[in-house]
Amino acid sequence: MNGSGKEHIIKSYDDELARLTGEIVRMGELAATQLESAIDVVERRDERAAQRVVANDDAIDQMEQEISHDVVRLLALRAPIAGDLRNVFAALRIAADIERIGDYAANVAKRSIPLSMVAPVAPASGLAYLAELAAEQVREVLAAYNDRDTERAYQVWQNDVALDDAYTGYFRQLLTYMMEDPRNITPCTHLLFMAKNIERIGDHATNIAENIWFQVHGEPLNKQRIKRDFTSNPEPGRLDE
Amino acid sequence: MNDSALAAPPVQAAAATPPKLKVRDLNFYYDGFHALKGISMDVPEKQVTAIIGPSGCGKSTLLRIFNRIYAIYPKLEARGSIELDGENILAPGYSMNRLRSKVGMVFQKPVPFPMTIFENVAYGIRHHERLSRSEMEARVEQALRSAALWDEVKDKLKQNALGLSGGQQQRLCIARAIALRPEVLLLDEPTSALDPIATGRIEQLVEELKHEYTIVIVTHNMQQAARCSDRTAFMYLGELIEFDRTEQIFTKPGKKQTEDYITGRFG
Repeated sequence: MNGSGKEHIIKSYDDELARLTGEIVRMGELAATQLESAIDVVERRDERAAQRVVANDDAIDQMEQEISHDVVRLLALRAPIAGDLRNVFAALRIAADIERIGDYAANVAKRSIPLSMVAPVAPASGLAYLAELAAEQVREVLAAYNDRDTERAYQVWQNDVALDDAYTGYFRQLLTYMMEDPRNITPCTHLLFMAKNIERIGDHATNIAENIWFQVHGEPLNKQRIKRDFTSNPEPGRLDE
Repeated sequence: MNDSALAAPPVQAAAATPPKLKVRDLNFYYDGFHALKGISMDVPEKQVTAIIGPSGCGKSTLLRIFNRIYAIYPKLEARGSIELDGENILAPGYSMNRLRSKVGMVFQKPVPFPMTIFENVAYGIRHHERLSRSEMEARVEQALRSAALWDEVKDKLKQNALGLSGGQQQRLCIARAIALRPEVLLLDEPTSALDPIATGRIEQLVEELKHEYTIVIVTHNMQQAARCSDRTAFMYLGELIEFDRTEQIFTKPGKKQTEDYITGRFG
């Protein structure tokens, strides 16, 4: 079933579409868990656990391949149109976003290994807050997808600004630490990359929200969203302008 | 033009191109049954308009009114107006002979006459025009070429048309219709009895013919409507539910009834 509320005359068509939704939600859950595990290994400075998180990314990649296969099969055998077509099309795009989220989570875990080899730095603890915000965004958008709840998806889309703000603040904090003591440069550079990865996870969550909107309404989410990642501003002293 | 045209409900999906057929508040009855209810639509010139809908929705009836084929049966009555180039074809004074030369029709099952391939095409022309032998040969060749059949039959024009395959017979029927140089071509499920290859040839032909003719095609095959039409009308229980660009109908139809039908949720 989808937005139409009615079932298809051919019941197995509904079963296949429902399975696709289930696969996406499971894949997304796995990606959110990966992000949480990655942050956990950063805090625990646990190299072996970090390697396990990196290895687990294969499972997400595998799920994306299965979803692609199911989408191709649905397109070939069911020739979906209108809402069904948007459903299948959105699933393919959302799976690609989740796959990237998984990659970013694995990157965070990967960088935790060199980070754990140098002396701990104070700002490392700030990464958890960013990850918490990002994981919340991912879980919210998955729930919105499962329920085809466009208002909830829209909320996720708007809330990305909080993650952008947090990232900008964290960036500034890391710069300060690096300027204070050049020995902080190596660990803080790793943390910068990790923070950027987490900020990008938020962007993929908003992509998913846009796809949910398109799937349900058949038109793009055109509302203006304020972009608040100012870290590419050439003058570091004017980050918050 | 007349009162009913002025009182007509809003016309669905007025096309960007000028309309060839202007249907206004069309109602059709047979034996007291109200088969078409207040249909108003503009069929754009030199485009393909597909009419889809479940069996009994009135789509073939609507097509048949476009060339007044119903007039041969008693107890049938059409009210409203259909303007072809500004003239109401439903008006009693409109010449049936003129209408049939302007509006050609091809049916679900190919029905070649039991005569030669050449005569099948020439037969209709003789009914309307007197041509010399060479003129007639040129006209028949032109019609067969337009119907993408010439290369397959040019060496056997004197053979009986019944010996052709189903797909060839259907293209012969299209050649027979376009030999009269009509302006509108009506196709009533023209490929439902054909295999996918013959169907593909007809669809390709439709794409080529639309540069010359205004085409209206009734089809049960949703994908066929999607593949070869510019505009699609969805009918249900004698009403025109939605009429819009084909791309719009098959990606984001405006009405829930349309979406339910095209996605296979009707019941």
